[in-house]
Amino acid sequence: MTAVPAPAGSFPAARRFGAVLPLLRGVLALAAVLAAVELIVIALGIRPYVLPRPSAVFEAILRTPAAYRDAIIRTGLETLYGFAAGALFGIGIGIAFSRLRFLRETVFPIFIVSQTIPVIAFGALVVMWFGNTILAKSVIVFYLTFFPVTVNTLLGMRAVDQKQVQLLKSFGASEGEILRKLRFPTALPHIFVALRISSALGLAGAVVGEWFGDTTGLGVLLLQGMYAENMVAIWASVFCSALLGVALFSAIGFAERRIVFWGGSDA
Amino acid sequence: MMTRPQTDFTAAEAAMTDTAEPILDLRTLSKTFGEVKALNGVDLKVQPGEFVTVVGPSGCGKSTLFNIVSGLEEPDSGSVLRFEGRSVMARDLLGKVSFMPQRDLLLAWRNVIDNAILPLEIEGANRAEARREAERMLPEFGLAGFAKQYPHELSGGMRQRVALMRTFMFKRDLMLLDEPFGALDALTRAMMQRWLLDVWSEHRRTVLFITHDVDEAIFLGDRVLVMTARPGAIKLERKVDLPRPRGADLVTSPEFIALKRDLLDAIEEESMKTFGPNAH
Repeated sequence: MTAVPAPAGSFPAARRFGAVLPLLRGVLALAAVLAAVELIVIALGIRPYVLPRPSAVFEAILRTPAAYRDAIIRTGLETLYGFAAGALFGIGIGIAFSRLRFLRETVFPIFIVSQTIPVIAFGALVVMWFGNTILAKSVIVFYLTFFPVTVNTLLGMRAVDQKQVQLLKSFGASEGEILRKLRFPTALPHIFVALRISSALGLAGAVVGEWFGDTTGLGVLLLQGMYAENMVAIWASVFCSALLGVALFSAIGFAERRIVFWGGSDA
Repeated sequence: MMTRPQTDFTAAEAAMTDTAEPILDLRTLSKTFGEVKALNGVDLKVQPGEFVTVVGPSGCGKSTLFNIVSGLEEPDSGSVLRFEGRSVMARDLLGKVSFMPQRDLLLAWRNVIDNAILPLEIEGANRAEARREAERMLPEFGLAGFAKQYPHELSGGMRQRVALMRTFMFKRDLMLLDEPFGALDALTRAMMQRWLLDVWSEHRRTVLFITHDVDEAIFLGDRVLVMTARPGAIKLERKVDLPRPRGADLVTSPEFIALKRDLLDAIEEESMKTFGPNAH
């Protein structure tokens, strides 16, 4: 999605520019904020161990780009695997709950109880089971992701217009057809709301998961920065985490605009 | 012919009703929801190819009647429901009658063509073939060039035409239209009525049409039925002996006005039962 000049017609070009515009605006706003922070730090003489200059943070990243790149990839993969699994599981089980009352009444309460256990308490256990692997962190991400997706899928499947159900029935549609052609598309906007929430939660889960033991990742860099009392390294890790978070969020937003193009929920 | 009263059972008419089996035949049809009796002994026959309109005060059970005939609701026991000469359960009619509810109920994620072919898809028809057929029907429904548009890009009148096209594509002998033009402005509505008559005379389906607009009921129908206040039953039945094709000036003709007066009187009487001092 870079600003490539459009090959044909002015209309697609305008539309592509329209898609890039918010991104450009975001980048400009971020640059302005960073420049302002830089000026304030210099003007007020704030000490680097309280708040380092953004330029110093960027310098630190550029000095050892490989370390930060690897950390982003590692944490990104952990989040992605866990998130994908959580999203698919959440959608699947949400649909199952909407169809099977028995399952909903027996399993759903267990899900709710599971979410009352703080992920930190759970994290230690997962690392004991799966070791210092990507899998361990992905499981934590999964644990944080699936629940909002399940709840919103169930909600979305029930948000269907009963008149539309009746119309499809009058055409002779089976329950399965109503599910595929009506209920699931109706649920999609709700599902995307949950996916956006889950992506932020999942990333936090991956970072925290790394604190239980790992050698690469943004959480590891954060921890190392903290132990070394290196404010610049901490801020560099925070910046990279933010970058990853924004990338995930944007990717989901992009998919949402493509898939839920009819504007089920506007945001 | 024009002045023949409805009760005068001529030999010709007797012959017609005997030979032509009614496509829909309801006898003592009742429906109760808990304490509330929505329909009380509806008797109604619809001949193949006939355009029958139903008017009545609001809340008279018109929609309940349609829900039963489209198979969505079972009538109370003791009701007789005959379709194409056979006694049936209401649910046997699911997929047998093409039903158009009040709102267009288009699926937001489907474009005009894909909304129109929805019933064919459910029937298991070949999708590409169904799309080609819908493509051919677009001009007739005033939707030429709009094949790829989505519902949120269409005006209310166009959405309603898409819904009608969907109803027509579901090729069933009996069509149920539940106030399809109720939400449209007067001008669009008048245009849609004339257009519907054109389409109907092309396709020759049997139509049962609900409306609360007496003008619309007379303008469209071969026969107008007036329903009583709840619990609904057929209060009055009048044949509309006005020539077809019908033009816009028809509504000012003396025959039209005389008929309208009779029907309005009947509806007024029923409305008073609902809103009057003795209403229960």
